[in-house]
Amino acid sequence: MSAPSVLVAEGLVKRYPVFRGFRDLILHPLERRTVTALDGLDLEVGRGRVFCLLGPNGAGKTTLIKVLATLVLPDGGRASVAGHDVALEPGPARNAVGYAVSDERSFYWRLSGRQNLEFFGALYGLGGPARGRRIDELLRLAGLEEAADLRFNGYSTGMRQMLAFARALLADAAILLVDEPTRSLDPQAADRVRAFLRGELAGRQGKTILWATHDLGEAADCADDIAVISRGRIRLRSPAASLAAGGRASLRQAYEQAVGESEEKP
Amino acid sequence: MSGPARQSVSGAAVMAAFLRRDLREALTYKFSFVSSVTGILLSSATFYFVAKLVPAGTPSLGPFGGDYFSFAVVGVAFAGLLGMFQEGLAAVVRSAQLSGTLEALLVTPVPVPVILFGSSLYSLLFQVVRTALHLGVALAFFGLALGRVNAAGVLAVGVLTVLCFLSVGVLSASFILVYKTGNPFSWIMGTASGLLGGVVFPIALLPPWIRWISSLLPVTYALDGMRKSLLASASFADVLPDVAALAAFDALLLPASLVAFRLALRKAKKDGTLAHY
Repeated sequence: MSAPSVLVAEGLVKRYPVFRGFRDLILHPLERRTVTALDGLDLEVGRGRVFCLLGPNGAGKTTLIKVLATLVLPDGGRASVAGHDVALEPGPARNAVGYAVSDERSFYWRLSGRQNLEFFGALYGLGGPARGRRIDELLRLAGLEEAADLRFNGYSTGMRQMLAFARALLADAAILLVDEPTRSLDPQAADRVRAFLRGELAGRQGKTILWATHDLGEAADCADDIAVISRGRIRLRSPAASLAAGGRASLRQAYEQAVGESEEKP
Repeated sequence: MSGPARQSVSGAAVMAAFLRRDLREALTYKFSFVSSVTGILLSSATFYFVAKLVPAGTPSLGPFGGDYFSFAVVGVAFAGLLGMFQEGLAAVVRSAQLSGTLEALLVTPVPVPVILFGSSLYSLLFQVVRTALHLGVALAFFGLALGRVNAAGVLAVGVLTVLCFLSVGVLSASFILVYKTGNPFSWIMGTASGLLGGVVFPIALLPPWIRWISSLLPVTYALDGMRKSLLASASFADVLPDVAALAAFDALLLPASLVAFRLALRKAKKDGTLAHY
């Protein structure tokens, strides 16, 4: 029996308004131009699975993650997290996921790593000695014990990424959303991040991870399931084992075929 | 690994967390407090000497105790405080958009209005301290002429004024959420208030054809009520017209600002521009 789905999208549609200049606004004041980011996307992610989302730039990966994190409202269709509709029950939906915001600007640079976690921990409802214990635990897990009291602006890119995971884990949500976690990391740091996500969080803690990436090898090595998204729709979905069975070359071929077909038949 | 002992998010704990965060950040800027106090001293000294040009008993200062220095110091000190209340919320939204922390805050379980208020709490409290310091310095070193202080008047005018300017602050924050810059409330309430709200001169000096605009600005009633309560030994009945006007502004602006904020947040989420700058 397959695991019950904890992340579900059905016919999800998201269109963003296109930025228009003054001249355009004056000449065509009533016209509304949009660009489609999600075009009726369907997706189901089973509990405890590592689900890698591959796709070219602008395919809709980040939009999908932001919809699931309740940061962007969909225009059509529905999405739910642990059974909570993201548009109708944003609070419970938000409580059910940890969103590892990878943007290093999302931290307070003049505070230490520990002080950043203390602040966000309080927002997640952690207080007293329990918060301190949780933060110590996460800093150890993220390999940041020695750097815990250094200012964030002194952290390397890899350390900042690990602190982002530690923050996403503060509330111990069972579902994690991660958007290109190894972007701009050196190979060793990227390997540490992959091992942390795959080995510790998915393997040992059994978390469900929706993981957007451009890296086919990363997906092949870490995922249970792989989907290729292009032009706002899932174009290919398969267990990672069967896609990667023919080696990296066959995964690349399947990826390129899925993206190529979407460009021919949008 | 054991899970955390997660509790429901308490408003007081969240406010304390914001205050601690901002205090910790402020302490990393070692000279900001020193420069703030120096600014207060210089401002007070400037008005102290300007006041020597204004003869005692000038008719337009009569309702406020008659002393220009006291009139100006109370005006400048409270205008600074009101400015922070009306600008503070928009400033924190803008700062979080620019610094990139907004998304990380918005994925926490804390409701957005609480995030907004918590983020500006330190600045608001710091400005309250700054205002008290401003008046204290003026009292201790430059002879601020307090009358028989009407505590009930100060309290009523103060509370209604805070609610009014916080509402304007929420309107400003709503505008910034959607349009990012060019906040019109800041211009209308800030710039216009400086000229037309009687901050450094009585509005009685304005020509009648423009004076009516002053009556549309809450700052006019806030400063009028505060000066009469602090400087002119006015009774509560004397400041009742100011209290009534501020209550009317509150009745209009408070619900309008909450609706505007809800609509702005929805639009920003719909357009996907919540964290854009």
